[in-house]
Amino acid sequence: MKDALGIIYTSKDDLSLRELTAHRSIAALPVAGRYRIVDFLLSNMVNSGVRNVGVITQRNYRSLMDHLGAGKEWDLHTRNNGLFILPPFINGEKGGEYSGALEALRANFDYLRRSRQELVVFTNGNAVYSTSYEPMLRQHEETGADVTIMYASDAARDQYLSSYAGNRHAYLNVDGDKRVTDIEINPNAASYGNMSMDVMVIKRTLLMHLVDQAYSQGMTDVYGDILRAQIKTGMLDVRGYEFKGYYRRVETVQGYYRLNMDILGKYCRKALFSDYPVYTKERDEVPAVYGPTAKVKNSIVADGCVINGTVENCILFSGVKIGRGAVVKNSILFQDSYIEDNVELEYVILDKVVTIRTGGRLIGQTQYPIVIGKNVTL
Amino acid sequence: MLKKKCIAMLLAGGQGSRLGLLTKVVAKPAVPFGGKYRIIDFPLSNCSNSGIDVVGVLTQYQPLELNRYIGAGQPWDLDLMNGGVYVLPPYMKGKSGEWYKGTANSIFQNIAFIEQYDPDYVLVLSGDHIYKMDYRLMLNDHIEHQADVTIAVRPVPWEEAPAFGIMSVDGENRITEFEEKPTRPKSNLASMGVYVFSWPVLKKYLTEDDADPDSKNDFGKNIIPKILADGLRLQAYSFEAYWKDVGTIASLWEANMDLISYPPKFDLRDSRWPIYARSPKMPAQFVGSVAEIQRSSITEGCEIYGTVRHSVIFAGVTIEEGAVVEESVIMPNTVVRRGAIIKRAIVAENCEIGPGALVGATEAESGEIALVGQNTHVPAEYVITAGEQIDTDVIEAREARKA
Repeated sequence: MKDALGIIYTSKDDLSLRELTAHRSIAALPVAGRYRIVDFLLSNMVNSGVRNVGVITQRNYRSLMDHLGAGKEWDLHTRNNGLFILPPFINGEKGGEYSGALEALRANFDYLRRSRQELVVFTNGNAVYSTSYEPMLRQHEETGADVTIMYASDAARDQYLSSYAGNRHAYLNVDGDKRVTDIEINPNAASYGNMSMDVMVIKRTLLMHLVDQAYSQGMTDVYGDILRAQIKTGMLDVRGYEFKGYYRRVETVQGYYRLNMDILGKYCRKALFSDYPVYTKERDEVPAVYGPTAKVKNSIVADGCVINGTVENCILFSGVKIGRGAVVKNSILFQDSYIEDNVELEYVILDKVVTIRTGGRLIGQTQYPIVIGKNVTL
Repeated sequence: MLKKKCIAMLLAGGQGSRLGLLTKVVAKPAVPFGGKYRIIDFPLSNCSNSGIDVVGVLTQYQPLELNRYIGAGQPWDLDLMNGGVYVLPPYMKGKSGEWYKGTANSIFQNIAFIEQYDPDYVLVLSGDHIYKMDYRLMLNDHIEHQADVTIAVRPVPWEEAPAFGIMSVDGENRITEFEEKPTRPKSNLASMGVYVFSWPVLKKYLTEDDADPDSKNDFGKNIIPKILADGLRLQAYSFEAYWKDVGTIASLWEANMDLISYPPKFDLRDSRWPIYARSPKMPAQFVGSVAEIQRSSITEGCEIYGTVRHSVIFAGVTIEEGAVVEESVIMPNTVVRRGAIIKRAIVAENCEIGPGALVGATEAESGEIALVGQNTHVPAEYVITAGEQIDTDVIEAREARKA
């Protein structure tokens, strides 16, 4: 199989996640008790044998940088290749922000030029799925395609849409030879069942050529502008690769909430954690402690938690403390939240280091969970 | 190599035969402890937190697991350019070469390793104790008293004293008498197996000891008595905080229980003195909808669907619905099937406790600790009584006898 480098594009479309993305990019959002979204993408790369990964960052990337460090946890702290964090150039045209993936790729031509791998796996940094890209890379070679796009099959998509709202996606028409004959970008009602996962394989030199051409013509979007045009004219051989596992893109608070609740289900935990390991930054926490009055049901609990109250259908990140008589249901508590005695919480998302004082009560709704920002005491 | 003021040598070569089946395939320092640690994490983390950044680990018995665990020392911040953790097995020298004959001999055979760092002091540690200790304070005490040797000591119950190195001290904490495992102890001040030596003194005595064909090459039996007899300054350093020798099944079980007493007798939740461990890299624990967990410590990779009370559950353990685990220690990646009951027991790594099996005491608060050794498959409905030690070989032998 040919060598590939990986690029993870962390976008800046994060306004619909309210306080959760005020201090961090979507890629740095905590999920499943001890991970960040980017952990899944980086682990996918590493589990595919990709040894050179560039992470394109913009805007609020301090939290992401802090998490990634030198890439040690992903075995990407190597002498050659390894992890490359590609921040925006402050004195570039727009200062800290790209108009889209196309401009971001254009700005990082140096990195692309210097890399020696023949192929590029390019993925968006706002989705959670666990896989190896190897079968896709193999299909790419076997079909001789110029571009291969990963898409979620009908079943995965239906399950996805029923639990999700407010997302924008590209849809592909794929024929019997896996050839992509049309792309629809963000339709209200899609004509095709194949939902693009915004993951593609392309030859490195071809990617640079296409980006250069499109950028000089004032285009901004990889899928909408470049690929659509190329498919229409038939200039490029674009194929689809069907992904059958669990896939969630995170763009809204509801979507983020659903994703975490999904992980309480056995199917989802198996799909995300049993075939491939997911690596993350370690926090050196002690095991979770359940006190004499703890009552925990159907929940994910990270190390470092101390639980003395009732917890049902929750995701508790590391270092969360739940006091006696407190009742926390259907909620997501980020690291070091402190829930004092007799507090009642339902359908809430608490960011890091939120303290809810004795007797406090916060009740949200499943369609609209309450979000409390970082370092708040109520 | 840069000169170091003090380096540590960690004695990790013993089998730990009193731990029975637990050390059949791993060395004692690699035995899991406290949910996500191994015994060796305690001295290694103590070194790291005390600013001692050269640690030689002397291994000999079943070193595979221990070597893999220590690796390059990254979890303890000991993967350094100048220093770090080194695993030191016995090796051939010219035409000769031999196993480590005793604790003192293992250090004698590594004089060349020590001299690379030209240290003023050498800290000698053992790999079978659970404690948090700032070795810097002890080293300062050693320097202040201009001692040749300083031994960390603590009072132990009189009935336990015959199991330790016991010493008498004068008003200035200077050691006047030392006896290794005395049948009739004169004092209850026990050695914790933590020594600071001024390196020139240690080197001299190790060399002399090696030349003595009658010596057992042991610190407690030979080196310390010899230094004392020669009238050098041996100082006792009192350590009052939690310390536990986990050399037996009962004490290992107790030390695990000390973590989950309420409040804990030994608290690992301590940001000023963290204990580091190599992470198993597993997802956060999952607690099922009919699970019941109280007074327990549970860690990553666990899936709990049954009942867990007053127990320490290690990484990757699954406890199925209807299973009950009480006052027990369940080590990594073990599966407890439906309806199995485990009480007052230690179950080692990678075991499967079959459906409906009974392990350990059936009466409350009584009986010795039952032990299931590594990789044991306990058949459905099988009964293991209090104090029994079982592994696959034992089970097969029993079945063969029955047939």
